Parts: sequence; structure tokens; C-alpha cells
Amino acid sequence: MTAARHDRVVGGAATPDGISQAATDNRQAGAEITMSRASIKPARAAFAALAAGALFLTGCSSGGGGSDEGSDTKAKKQGEDVAYSFGDEKASTGPAAQVKGAKEGGTIKLLQRDSFAHLDPGQIYVSDEGALAKLIHRGLTTYKKVSDNKYEVVGDLATDSGKKSDGGKTWTYKLKDGIKFEDGSPITSKDFRHTIERKFASFMTEGPTFIESWMTGKGSVESRKELPDGPYKGKHLPKSMLETPDDKTIVFHFKEPQGELPYALAMAGYAVVSEKADTKQKYDKKPLTSGPYKIASFKSGKSMKLVRNKEWDPKTDPMRNQYPDGFDIQFGVSFEDSTKRLMSDAGENKTATSLTNSVDASSMQKVRTDPEVKKRSISGFQSYVSYLNINTDRIKNKKVRQAIAYAMPSQSIVTAFGGAGGGELAGNYISPTLVGHKPTDPFGKLKKPQGDVAKAKKLLKESGKKGMKLTFAYQNAPEWQNFSVAAADNLKKAGFNVQRKDVIADTYYDQIGKVKDNNYDIYHNSWGADWPSASTVIPNLFEGRQVQDGAANYSHLKNPKWDKEMDRIRAITNPNEAAGEWQKLADKILKEDTPSIPMHYYKTIQLFGSNIGGAYFDETLHDISPNSLYVKK
Amino acid sequence: MWMRFKRDRTGVISACIVLAFFAIAALAPLISKLYGKDAYTRYGAEAPIGELLNDNGYPVKPNGGISSDFWFGIEPGLGRDVFMQLVYGIRTSLSLAIAITLLSVLTAIVIGVAGGYLGGRADYFLGRLTDLMMSFPNQLFFVAFTPVVTAVFVDKQDEMPTWMRACVLIYVMWLLGWMTLARLLRGQTLSLREREFVEAAKVAGTPPARIVRKELLPNLVTPILVQSTYMLPNNVTAIAGLSFLGVGMPEPVPDWGRMFAKGAEVYQSDLTYMFFPGGAMVIFILAFNLLGDSVRDAFDPKAGR
Repeated sequence: MTAARHDRVVGGAATPDGISQAATDNRQAGAEITMSRASIKPARAAFAALAAGALFLTGCSSGGGGSDEGSDTKAKKQGEDVAYSFGDEKASTGPAAQVKGAKEGGTIKLLQRDSFAHLDPGQIYVSDEGALAKLIHRGLTTYKKVSDNKYEVVGDLATDSGKKSDGGKTWTYKLKDGIKFEDGSPITSKDFRHTIERKFASFMTEGPTFIESWMTGKGSVESRKELPDGPYKGKHLPKSMLETPDDKTIVFHFKEPQGELPYALAMAGYAVVSEKADTKQKYDKKPLTSGPYKIASFKSGKSMKLVRNKEWDPKTDPMRNQYPDGFDIQFGVSFEDSTKRLMSDAGENKTATSLTNSVDASSMQKVRTDPEVKKRSISGFQSYVSYLNINTDRIKNKKVRQAIAYAMPSQSIVTAFGGAGGGELAGNYISPTLVGHKPTDPFGKLKKPQGDVAKAKKLLKESGKKGMKLTFAYQNAPEWQNFSVAAADNLKKAGFNVQRKDVIADTYYDQIGKVKDNNYDIYHNSWGADWPSASTVIPNLFEGRQVQDGAANYSHLKNPKWDKEMDRIRAITNPNEAAGEWQKLADKILKEDTPSIPMHYYKTIQLFGSNIGGAYFDETLHDISPNSLYVKK
Repeated sequence: MWMRFKRDRTGVISACIVLAFFAIAALAPLISKLYGKDAYTRYGAEAPIGELLNDNGYPVKPNGGISSDFWFGIEPGLGRDVFMQLVYGIRTSLSLAIAITLLSVLTAIVIGVAGGYLGGRADYFLGRLTDLMMSFPNQLFFVAFTPVVTAVFVDKQDEMPTWMRACVLIYVMWLLGWMTLARLLRGQTLSLREREFVEAAKVAGTPPARIVRKELLPNLVTPILVQSTYMLPNNVTAIAGLSFLGVGMPEPVPDWGRMFAKGAEVYQSDLTYMFFPGGAMVIFILAFNLLGDSVRDAFDPKAGR
């Protein structure tokens, strides 16, 4: 399947100014999840036959898992109540806290499924590359773990997380001393101006566009016209947008107050690019790095070697360590293969882990019940939430929508994704990884994870639409197929005439993204936030002004009341206050309009070899943190 | 002949096993009633987590959740009863296989005997048709064919009805399944045609239809019967193969082949699940093939072993 794959894409496209930019923002499709494990079946044929044969010889000795007691679901409610704050100068000063017992030296092997398509920071959006960027690139801000569930946005190359003035329309950053690229040249404010300006050039197609939109006050396509060739023909952005009064100072000017700039700047897509060494398109293959490691060799699709960057000064870096001598990345290792290799913990796998490969659903039970493997695993929430959208153009009756909501067996989708290790039941639209998440549950999905068929039946009867035809489209992948069986079963019991339609994974999002000729009544999608704020979730999913082909408002909800409320919340510059308001709005939309039903919050489990230390789940990256790893001797 | 068959112990045992499978398939609803469960209810999933399935979706009890309530265990994930899945799965597969075999054999008789008896130009064209059909890879053909049928006959808002999927499956497997037997029968007919009794019938002015029915067919019964007993289990495995690839009967229709796909998916944590469908399939195919041998021996003792 295509590059979207298990779509470890960092996120959706937030479009703070609404209408215009949602339109052609191609990134919207990038945030979606297309699980694609359907193609592995043929390869297993031989194995199946073998297994059947072997059973005859050995009898059925194995199987059966016993109860898992749900031990770590209760003990480790990570992500729940995760808190963020914007750090000051003290918090932004290096060096990073030492990991207890960590030693220098050794090489860590990283098993990755997909090769990195982009190395140029400005082109990085997907999470594989985002995780790599943590090792090689640096930006103005970054996330630092303070304690469990507590993270701080701190200055990375900047001295702090940013000073706002003019009610949030102006943000000022000062650069630290002693920051250098890998070739020893100093990083100045000119490089940052260049970093921002080159994002206007036509060849920059993949990275985030938030800051450009905020500066120009236009959508992502329109904003490019402000500087059509980027900085390459000697033109620069006017001082009313971006200022660099001296070598150490960068000033951003926005059209509207923006409270979440420190989050946006922490994205790998806004990491620094050297003005002198910029080779335009070629930079994507050979960037000048600034992080603790540099690229020694890169064979696309095969391997990549990272070695220490001698010019990186730990005293300037608040969150990165530099323990191993290097990283040895191998591409083309499927989730199943990496899981098996790391479970075996033999030979070179002892010092191996993966940036983004997670445990595949079929191995989940084994990983979670075998104590030897379990202790070498970390788990946590991903930013994605799965939703079952109701096409509000076709189903206008709210009682019918509520009936669907009550009938949905959310537990089945969690089970399909590997059970408690692969996901958690969702009560509302907001992921627990976002600031302001509250465990509200308007439709009782947590209390009745298998759905409330009796209530659904009653509501459908009241609506007078009993026996109505309901076309349920789902992606042709094992997880969704399994879920569709359970969902159709419940909906039938509730009195719907369910028609299941499986759609090929490649074209699924194109098909359900149609506004006019959409043949389906209900269909699922998954959406993740770009940074821990619902401002990149709720507007994308439910703003009436964003309804169009391919946009994430798959339920085609158009309610001016909500649009107005969204404008009000966007104007709040205190991120924590805004977060609370987003949660309230989300619950109101769910209760009053029910345009889609939240089903589950994605979780992931990752494994690491027994000789690797310092592994923890980074809740800002939603994967293992590559910066604290070391090799045990 | 019957006496010869009865003396062959392997043959009798195989025949009993095969009959037992057909009986199970035919009496599935009755078994379901006596057993008290059906193939569609998601028992495990509907019970609270930790009672039948744990929070990873696997049976709580060892050996795939086998208990006095669930004789063959519980399906991981959806939590359906494995015994009922298997019984109804056998029913689905056998019904399809019988339909396909009957159609294929009939087609093979018509084309094979016609080609062999008529000879000349008719034989040439029928022979080329056989060759042509043989060159189609049937699994690929089926994978490609189903979406076409869906697009042509099924409304965009409807799911493909189960009966239509069954018909498509039967149609494709029949279309691509008669050639071997047809060739065999053509060869047999060619040699029979030159024999004295056929010549005599011709000289006596017997109409061709009668010659075919009264002179040729009785002599072809042996290969037809023997080949059918080989063809049927082959069809069962072919259907299972298609299901394994995900293009057989769709969920939630219970299906033997799909159980293998599921088994391959969960073998790491629930090996027992593969045991029952796998075991049943091996026994069935083995018994049917041994039965085929015995039938051949019974009909044609001179051929020896």
C-alpha cells in the first residue's frame, strides 16, 4: 500500500482560519490511518498447513491465554491527565538530565519498516521521520519530560519557549550561545529566517504550514504567493511578518493572536536549515544536521548509519543525551518480523529496538503475558482516535444517529487492534494525549463496551425508521473486517437493514471523502492531533466551513452554532483555558448532533532488546524516546 | 463389485468417515439445536471481559477455551463457538463442493464424449476449448472476477448477497474445473468408438444418442466415479484456499477455509484454534482419497495396487 501505511503520520492539518485552506490542503489525507496488513495472508499459507500437521504430532498442548488481569490498563493510565507547560529560560538550559546508570559507547540497531522518504526538516511530517529528527535535527523549541505525565515545552535552540506580546500577535525568540551545525558553522537568526522562508518555495510540499498561514493570514496554498520562489531569488518576507533584528533574535508577527506557537515550532518540520549549505531539493537527501548525531551513510530502502556529531554541545541541549556511539538503522523489517526478532532477544537483537515499529496485533497476547518479553516493552497512547462517521446529509434524523451510537460495539474494535495493548475504549472525541481531556462518556460506551442494543432499538422505533437501509463502508483490512462483523450484528439486532461494503484500503479515504456522490451512510476514519491541543482536531472534524471533497469533516456536519463557538475558542490565547473549552464543545457536539461516534484511542506497544537501557515511552512523540537510550555493557 | 468393495476394510472405513462428514453437514441445524448454540452469536465478546475472553481478545481458559460449554473452544476476537463454526463451515464448503463437482462432471461428460465420439472438426474445436480453459489460473481468475460481478450486478449501496457470492464461486470453479475429466473421457471414448460392439451397433442402424447412452456411457462409469471422488475433495481444498486468501464466502457466513486464515492469524497465542479445522480437513481429504482408491479397485480388480 502507499506511503500512508500504518500511517504513522504525525498529524492532521490544523486550519485555524478555516474555510480557504482546508480546500486544497493535501496534507489532510496524510493524517489518516490505513492499516494495511491484508497483504500478508498468502505468505502464511505454508505455515498454516505446517501448524496443522504439527498439531497432529504434538497434540494440543498450547493455546489459551489465561486471564491477563488487565494489570497494566489500570496501573498505567498513561496519557490520562497529561499536562504541558511552557518552560522558561532555566528549564531550557542544557545539559539534559543524565539517565541513571547510563554508559557511553556501543551501537544501537534500529529496525524500521519503511525507509525515510525525507530528511530535509521542512519536508518532515510523518512520525518515522519525526522520530529520526529527534536524533539529527533541532528547532527553536522542543518537549522535555519533567516527570511522569508531565511535559514542558522548552527552548531548544532558543533560550526559552518564546515571549509573546501584543496579545499573542508577536512572539520573540533569542538564540542560545554555542549552537552549531555539524560542519562547525554557527546557527544564527539568518538560518531561521531562511528556514521559514524556504517553506514558501514550490518544492516544499510535505511539511506543516501552520506558521506560514498565521503570518500571512491566508490558507496554506494562498500563503505561498507571498513569497513564490522562497528566499532563493533574493526576496524576503516583510518585517510585518518576520524580523531578525540581530544575529540572535527572531520575531514572528501574526495576523491573529496565536497561543500555540511553541507547540508548532516543536514540530520537526520547523527544525533549522542552514542558509549557506541549503541545496534546495538535494537537501532532502543530504541535510546539514544539528542534533547529537549526523548521517554517516544512507542507502534508501536498505540502511542508514548515524554517528556522533562532534559539534553538538550538550550544554546547549535541554533534553537530548548522546550515549551510544551510533545508530544502525535497517529498513524493510515488517512489524511482525521486528516483533519476532525483538521477542527472541538473540544475538544482535539484544541491542536492537525500533523508532516506530510497534508490536503487531497477533503477537499482542504473547507480549503482554510473557513476563520475560513484557519487561522489555513500553506502551502508551498514540494521538489517533478512531471515529465512526454518520453521513449527516443522508441520515438527518438525530434519533437514528443516536441509535447507531448506542448500538456500536466499541470493544470489538479494541479487540481487533489486539486488545488492551492496541487501544482503549473512547468515551468522547478528545484523545487522552491532548491537554484538557476529560473522561466524559455521553453515550455510555465505557459502561457498555458491547453497545446498548436495547436502547438503540427503542430509539430507532421512536424515530419511525425501523428497518431502514444502512450502508456501512469499511476498509478492507483485518481489523476493520472483524469489527464490521460485530457492528453489523448489533445494528441488525437494533432493527437496521445493514449492508456492509468493504472498500480497498488504497482508495478508502477517497471514497468516503466524497461529499456529493457519497453512497455510504456510516464509515470509519482515524484522526490524530499535530500537537497536544484539540485545536488541530475538533475544527478539522466538525467545522461546517471545511466540508468539501477529501476534507476530514467526513460526517458533513454543518452547524453555524458550532462554527461560531470554534471562532470564539480560537481567540483564547491561554492554551490551557482553550483546551478546557474544546473539550466542552466536543461533548456538546457529540451529545446534540452526534455526527460521529468516538470508538477507540490507539495505543502502541514497542519492544527493545535486553541490552538496551534508558527506554521510555515519550508521550509527545507517541513512540519510544530515542534520545535517552544507551547500551548496557 | 459390491462384494469386492465390502472386503476392502480401508475402503469401508473411509466410506464411513466420508458419510459421517456429509451427515454432519446435512444435520448441522439439528446438531446446533442439540448443542444449544449457533454459529453466529458472539458468546465470548458479549460476555464481560475476563469471563470467556481476556482483554487481549483471547480465551481465558487454556487450550483455546475448551470447556463443557464450548467443546472445541472459542474463536479469539469475535468469540464465536468453534464447534458450531466448524460444523456450519463444513456444511458451507461441502454444499459448494458438491454443486461444483456435479456441474463439472456433467459438463465433462457432454464435452468429452461428444469430442471423442464425433471426432474430426468438432473434436478439434472442443479440444482447443478445453486447452483454453485449462490455461486460466482459477484462483487468480476468481480474485479478479468477483469485483466485476459486484460492480455489474450489485447496487453501490448494497452488499453482495450471500447467494450471489455462492453462485459466483460455483460458476467460476465449475467453468474452470471440468477440463481434466473431459480429456480423460474423450480419450476413453476414442478407444471405445473403434471397438466391435460399437461398430456392430452402428451397422445395426442404432441412432448415435442411443449408442452413447447404451454402449459408451456404461463403459465410462468407472473413470467418472473414480474421478469424481478425487474431484470433490480437491474442490473442498480449492474453496478453502480461496477463503484463506479472503475471496471465499464472506463473513459472517461460517466457512471452513476462513477458519484456517483465522488460525494462521492467531497461532502464536492460540494454537488450538487451528487444531479442529485442520484435523477435520486432513481426515476428510485422506478418507476421501482412500475411498477413491477403493472404488477404483472395486470396479477394476485387474488394475491391482
